[in-house]
Amino acid sequence: MQYLDNYLQSKGGYDYTNVKRNELMKAQGFKEMPFTKTGTTIVGVLFDGGVVMAADTRATAGSIVADKNCEKLHTLAPNIWAAGAGTAADLHHQCAHFNAKLKLQRLNLNRQSRVNEVITKLTSKLFPYRGHIGVALIIGGIDCNGPQLASVSPHGNYVYHPFQSMGSGSLAALGILEAKFQDGLTKQQAIDLAIEAIEAGIFHDMGSGSNVDVVAITKDGVDYKRNIRQYNAKSYQRQVPYDFPINNTPALKKYQFDIEKQELTEVGQEMEIIE
Amino acid sequence: MIFNSEISGQQQHTTSPVVTGGSVIALVYNGGVIVGTDTLCSYGSMATFKNVQKIAQISKNTIYASSGEFSDFQQVVKELAKIDRSALQYDDGVHPSPKDYGNFLARLSYKKRCKINPLYLQNVIAGFHNGERYLGLVDIYGTYLESNFITTGFASYFCKAIIANYWNENCTLDQAKQVIRECFKVLFCRDCRAHDVIQLAYVDAQGAHIEEPERVETKWDFNGFKSRANEKLHTQ
Repeated sequence: MQYLDNYLQSKGGYDYTNVKRNELMKAQGFKEMPFTKTGTTIVGVLFDGGVVMAADTRATAGSIVADKNCEKLHTLAPNIWAAGAGTAADLHHQCAHFNAKLKLQRLNLNRQSRVNEVITKLTSKLFPYRGHIGVALIIGGIDCNGPQLASVSPHGNYVYHPFQSMGSGSLAALGILEAKFQDGLTKQQAIDLAIEAIEAGIFHDMGSGSNVDVVAITKDGVDYKRNIRQYNAKSYQRQVPYDFPINNTPALKKYQFDIEKQELTEVGQEMEIIE
Repeated sequence: MIFNSEISGQQQHTTSPVVTGGSVIALVYNGGVIVGTDTLCSYGSMATFKNVQKIAQISKNTIYASSGEFSDFQQVVKELAKIDRSALQYDDGVHPSPKDYGNFLARLSYKKRCKINPLYLQNVIAGFHNGERYLGLVDIYGTYLESNFITTGFASYFCKAIIANYWNENCTLDQAKQVIRECFKVLFCRDCRAHDVIQLAYVDAQGAHIEEPERVETKWDFNGFKSRANEKLHTQ
């Protein structure tokens, strides 16, 4: 295959050799995968001195809740976190892949990872796959250039905005963010805003639900609150295994069966239960 | 004049709207019901008619607004006005209540839906009758719902959370107006077919009041958008 690589390199520009093949496949009835906004609400909010990201915890398979309490906030580097919407498998594998890639780079260069590095690597990977890797991420982190918040779409588009939301609940969350976002928020205000935005997604979008996870990244470190809000927690926890209280059931009558004589006699007293 | 139906022999039905109105947001408050719309009618993606009143007063205590095909809105206003007029002509002191108008519109919409020729509208009827607040939604299929708050179009996606968090059914008129203004601000920022000039109308015990159009203030120059500093960092 070396001759093909050399040929393509000498040609330069983009390689469109698959276009004709794709057209043939479409003509034969192959359906291109549609871009699906998946069951998730994730938000990112930039504040003075850091960035806050929050996510709901529902994973859906069609109309069924596959996981009631999944983790949508992934670590890409100690100072960079990603909130992911899209195909769960793609998200887990891509985030793990980039986590490892960035770690190797950090070991090689002995330098902290930067947010713009992550965006470049991600978009370079996603763009050639034409959106088939269903990964919509909100990347937030703090590095030598300060706090940054960006979002990456499955087709490889990136945008830097002070507040973002993605997923099927993004419109509900965006309503809250647009109404309440200000410049110069404090860390607690940004966290409260992010939680309110995720709540909007949880209650007003059917693809999002369960609990809220929040991570706040500042120069002082990462503050990850798993399940900071739970709206449908079980109010009663069943005791497992069940402890049968001693002498709970009073014995009204006591009978004794002699096996040898095959006789049933009534015994007068209540028997004490021997532990 | 030759019409399409004569040429093809088949009756043509509307399959998609041409001139459309945007979202309608309606809330109940402690003294009545308030409805808000923007004042834009779009011709596809072109903002053609920017000063349109999309809230109509049907009777003394009923108002009607809708989002969708504007010509259908005008036709429905005529139909509801016919009912109002014929009730006046009977002159027996009995007048349709807001719920009667809502019910009529639901039946009309369902009939047209069954003939696969719908009124391309999400309708909102609001009124105040015998001390009771009334707010009803009739959608394109003829589904009839009464509720304390109604949103149509894109407002259903963006504004339900704002309404749920910052409104309750016993708030004051000013509080309800503020919530609606906030919702239209968000819509203007994120809905391509929205406009920043809105019109509010409310019905209370004294009757229907349709206010003058007002402009909502939106902020587009947050630091992160204006300076786009982070984007410049990206290329370093």
